[in-house]
Amino acid sequence: MSNDNVIEVKNLTMEYSTRKGNVSAVDNVSFSIKRGQALGLVGESGCGKTSIAKSLLKLLPDNAMIQQGQIVLNGKDMVPLSETEMRTHRWSEISMVFQAAMNAFNPVYTVGDQIIEAIETHLPKVTEAEGRAKIETLFRMVGLAPEMMDRYPHEYSGGMRQRAVIAMALSCDPDIIIADEPTTALDVIVQDSILKEITALQENLNMSMVYISHDVAVIAEVSDRVGVMYAGRMVELADTEEIFIRPIHPYTYALMQSFPSVTGPKKELISLPGEPPDLLHPPKGCRFHPRCPNRIEQCDQEQPEWKDYGNNHFCACWNPMEVN
Amino acid sequence: MWSYIGKRVFQMLITLVLFQIATYILIDLQPGDVTDLFVGNPNITAAERQRIAADLGLDGPLYERMWNYLTNFYTGNLGVSMVQYPRPVGEILAQRLPRTLALFVYATVFSFWFGYVAGKFLAWKRGGRWEYATTIVGVTLYTIFTPLLGYILLWGFATKLDKWVRNTFGIDFDLPVSKFSSTSLWRKAPYDTNTVFNWMNLNFIILVVIVLLAFFLSRYVPRNRREFLRVASMTVPFALSLVWWIFFSGVGIYAWDLVIHLFLPILTLTLISFGGNMLLTRTSMLETLREDYIETARAKGLPEKIIRNRHAARNAILPVWTALVFSLSSTISGGIITETVFSWPGIGEILVDSVSNSDFPVAMGALTVIGVMTLVAHLIVDIGYAFLDPRIRVH
Repeated sequence: MSNDNVIEVKNLTMEYSTRKGNVSAVDNVSFSIKRGQALGLVGESGCGKTSIAKSLLKLLPDNAMIQQGQIVLNGKDMVPLSETEMRTHRWSEISMVFQAAMNAFNPVYTVGDQIIEAIETHLPKVTEAEGRAKIETLFRMVGLAPEMMDRYPHEYSGGMRQRAVIAMALSCDPDIIIADEPTTALDVIVQDSILKEITALQENLNMSMVYISHDVAVIAEVSDRVGVMYAGRMVELADTEEIFIRPIHPYTYALMQSFPSVTGPKKELISLPGEPPDLLHPPKGCRFHPRCPNRIEQCDQEQPEWKDYGNNHFCACWNPMEVN
Repeated sequence: MWSYIGKRVFQMLITLVLFQIATYILIDLQPGDVTDLFVGNPNITAAERQRIAADLGLDGPLYERMWNYLTNFYTGNLGVSMVQYPRPVGEILAQRLPRTLALFVYATVFSFWFGYVAGKFLAWKRGGRWEYATTIVGVTLYTIFTPLLGYILLWGFATKLDKWVRNTFGIDFDLPVSKFSSTSLWRKAPYDTNTVFNWMNLNFIILVVIVLLAFFLSRYVPRNRREFLRVASMTVPFALSLVWWIFFSGVGIYAWDLVIHLFLPILTLTLISFGGNMLLTRTSMLETLREDYIETARAKGLPEKIIRNRHAARNAILPVWTALVFSLSSTISGGIITETVFSWPGIGEILVDSVSNSDFPVAMGALTVIGVMTLVAHLIVDIGYAFLDPRIRVH
């Protein structure tokens, strides 16, 4: 692995302990992101995408534990850090655009005050006037009128709020930004313009990004590299174009099949029967095997290896789709 | 804002008139009047009693008497006491109002503030023995019968604590358990009790205004000096006024006498609503801590103290403030009971007194004062809510 990686995640395993037992929400996931690169994480609901995002910021509830692995951010492992030490890295190096932008702002303070607060914490030398100037620039960048910073969150529309959340995420010049389904709650037109905004910002600022979505089409638009998650494990990881042309894992293939192509030839959409497994009692071997059309005997016995298929394309499957 | 307040004041006036009419009818429904006090006196015949009643204006039909009362009231004449004849009701109430108002305001402010702070920390540090202990204390205080609490405190402070202090330190602590002042001490005083008491209240109001101003102005000073300004605003004026009262006012000993007389009534009334405020703040804070913006605040890497105070507690206070409207009425009724238990000569005490003596104008006046207090307190709570929550601000 080269040194221009902003973040390297190695064998990350995170579990929630519940009364019924441990839920392995993230199991042995590894990936790395270069400066200016956008990684898309895609998968069904409840397959560990958001758990990965929260683990990266170490923003976990009390019952969650990172069991093993490393999260190396700018050359420093975040996993052993205490809450107080972690605090200085949050937002200044790694920030997040939240899924529920509607409630991401505290209703009793103006949006500007809440952004200034982050700047004050991480850049104590910045004066209030400089902070406001910075927010003005950020608001222009995300397409909001700078006067809006003195308004309260309830005076914003859904789309405006999402833009403000993005501006807030950029306020301390982070090296990497995690976008957790930022457009899911918005209508398609707003969604499209915000997606374009995010992509442009990420390229202009040469920032790294983890983009989380269940929507394959959105992922295709924003990311340079795609990781496919299933039941807490990463099953396939490749460059965006590569994975869309040559999906190797049957689950990736099924995901691609379940979305229509607007420009391509008409085809029947194939939906994948069944649902993701209960992570309290994950299936033995490959976690996808109960739903897999390509299942062979080995699948329910052993966990498939993480294999290199060339062209920077990795996959974990005993019986992959035909590799052409 | 001003048009809103004007509208509210107009509504309050209508409510007050309706309240007076209802109260008048209810009092009128009670059997007997002040002349019944003379029933046992063989020198006053039934005919004589009727003549006295006619003199006092107690005969005529209900609507006529009520009309007379209301027109007199709104032209500034509250009538005269029938028991302390011919002392004007206005004078009696004016003498007692500052005391009751002070009792009510101090108890409300203290119970709200301490309940808020205690609830905040309880929710923040969940679990453990502290939580059980404080929850039990909170529920007990919330549900206890007010006079019982008063008598428990009387017993604890006046007998047990007194004895303990005398045996351990050899000092006569002598915490007064009733009345407003020690008569023997005040005989030589240069001022009367109400004058000194009003100075003390004025002093308290000035202190509160300074703190509020400092918190408001601290936004405009550089960040690193904010905390200093806030702490200074809370401590320096307080210390200065203490020094003034002790060394320069010349009435320090008299003021202290009033303070120790105030102690138990205020403690009783504070404890009654403290439990409810604490439990409600705790619940509300636990709810707030699950909100998304708390997670955002954590993700932003803000210090825990800021997340707790600026984000969680600041939002958790909203429902507690709303509930203040309901707890006000219990504080007012609790105030009447507390005043009676501690023979504290306020509005509540004279109300109980006048009702048992059928002193109709005084009872009516005291009830009206309590009604006005309730209405004004509600207005203040509503205006305060608009300051606390930008979402309901009137534009």
